[in-house]
Amino acid sequence: MSPETEAAHLLQNVSGGDSLAIARAITAIENATAIGAELSLAVRGRPAKCRTLGVTGPPGAGKSSLISALTAILLERYPRIGVLTVDPSSPVSGGAVLGDRVRMAAHSRNPDVFIRSLATRGHLGGVTRATRGVIDVLGAAAFDLVIVETVGTGQSEVEVASLTEVKLAVCPPGLGDDMQAIKAGILEVADLLVVNKADLPDADRTAGHLKAMLHYRGDAETRSLLLASTVTGDGLMALAHAIDARFRASINEDRDVCANMTVTPATLADDAAELVRAFVRYTRDARVSDICLAINRGEIRHRDGLIAAVKMFVESCDDAAGADAHSRVGS
Amino acid sequence: MLTQDTAPQPRILLTKSFIDSHDRAIATIALALRDAAMEVVLIDYEQPEDVVNVALQEDVDVIGVSFMSGGQVETTEKIFAELKRRDVTDLPVVVGGTIRPFDVPPLEAAGVKAIFRGGAPLTEVVDSFRTLSRAYRGLAS
Repeated sequence: MSPETEAAHLLQNVSGGDSLAIARAITAIENATAIGAELSLAVRGRPAKCRTLGVTGPPGAGKSSLISALTAILLERYPRIGVLTVDPSSPVSGGAVLGDRVRMAAHSRNPDVFIRSLATRGHLGGVTRATRGVIDVLGAAAFDLVIVETVGTGQSEVEVASLTEVKLAVCPPGLGDDMQAIKAGILEVADLLVVNKADLPDADRTAGHLKAMLHYRGDAETRSLLLASTVTGDGLMALAHAIDARFRASINEDRDVCANMTVTPATLADDAAELVRAFVRYTRDARVSDICLAINRGEIRHRDGLIAAVKMFVESCDDAAGADAHSRVGS
Repeated sequence: MLTQDTAPQPRILLTKSFIDSHDRAIATIALALRDAAMEVVLIDYEQPEDVVNVALQEDVDVIGVSFMSGGQVETTEKIFAELKRRDVTDLPVVVGGTIRPFDVPPLEAAGVKAIFRGGAPLTEVVDSFRTLSRAYRGLAS
């Protein structure tokens, strides 16, 4: 079976909501296997009804706890929710401790909440290389809302902004002053600024700095500032409503919901590279190691070697197309 | 060593009961596995069934359950029952922590792949997770 056919089978089970199939599809996309590359292509452009929420903020700001509390409320309006939670990979070993869902234990048994922990695996920007594909898989599995929790961010990890419709910046009390509040970065890309841990004494001061910053921007300002506490429960309902209102506004704006399906030369280049990379990396064809050996020995030029590898990929596509056509005739 | 962002690391679920606050063992193992280039998902379970639900969502290769105060056999058996119900009987389960001598036979009968009692060498524990993980994925160890 060609990777394309195998991906199609897996996708069929994903669409049926089979949680193991969804999990395996995510793994394939994360590992950028041949099936994973085919899957990311097949699910490109999520269904219009799948809303996406990005949650970012510094380590320890309370993002996971806040998401857990919000999920409980948002389930009323969005019956099936997917949560992607990103933690850093070790720059030393490549391993990772993925601990975000410890805070989300309330949803461990709920079949309508699918939580997946992702390790950054060296990717900078606050999310993982594969996050877009993973969101699209959850879209294909007919989730109503996907929440993406970034790694603990500093100032410039803003990639989540290009992946999600509504962005939440979680600001814990007591970090920095009014100067931090007017700097460029994650505060700029957020739609909603939330001073979390509002039960702590410094919360009002932090909110004051952020409020002043919003005020300086005058009428052009569209961001809202809210306070919330998962300890007391204060502000959670208002926050959930604010998120929902933003989603409604973004639908009313009549934005091109298929924008993420538009193919540009840049996306085509990325997708082509992804397919070829998956093939060259995972193929069992021994000629790949022969090519590497020949390059390393200086017998052929590096460039000629890689062109030979690309030709092998093209061959494999032709073979697969032939085999699939044959099996269709046979059945 | 900086790994490539597509490297398929072993994925491990480590878990203990939410009422058990003894997390030294599980933190020690989590760090050792992290340092051995594995991705470790942590949860505190309320019901044994939660463990299986999370393991499937996270697509892990091994489940490790830590015990301190009780429920060693009962909880493990419930996890295996749930694995059977969800039709993933090949997912390996290991246990560790306070495992009393009389717990061992029923745990082995339930199907645990390894038992790490106090004093087990860390390298042995790490190797065991790696071997089980590779076997589950159908890779040579």
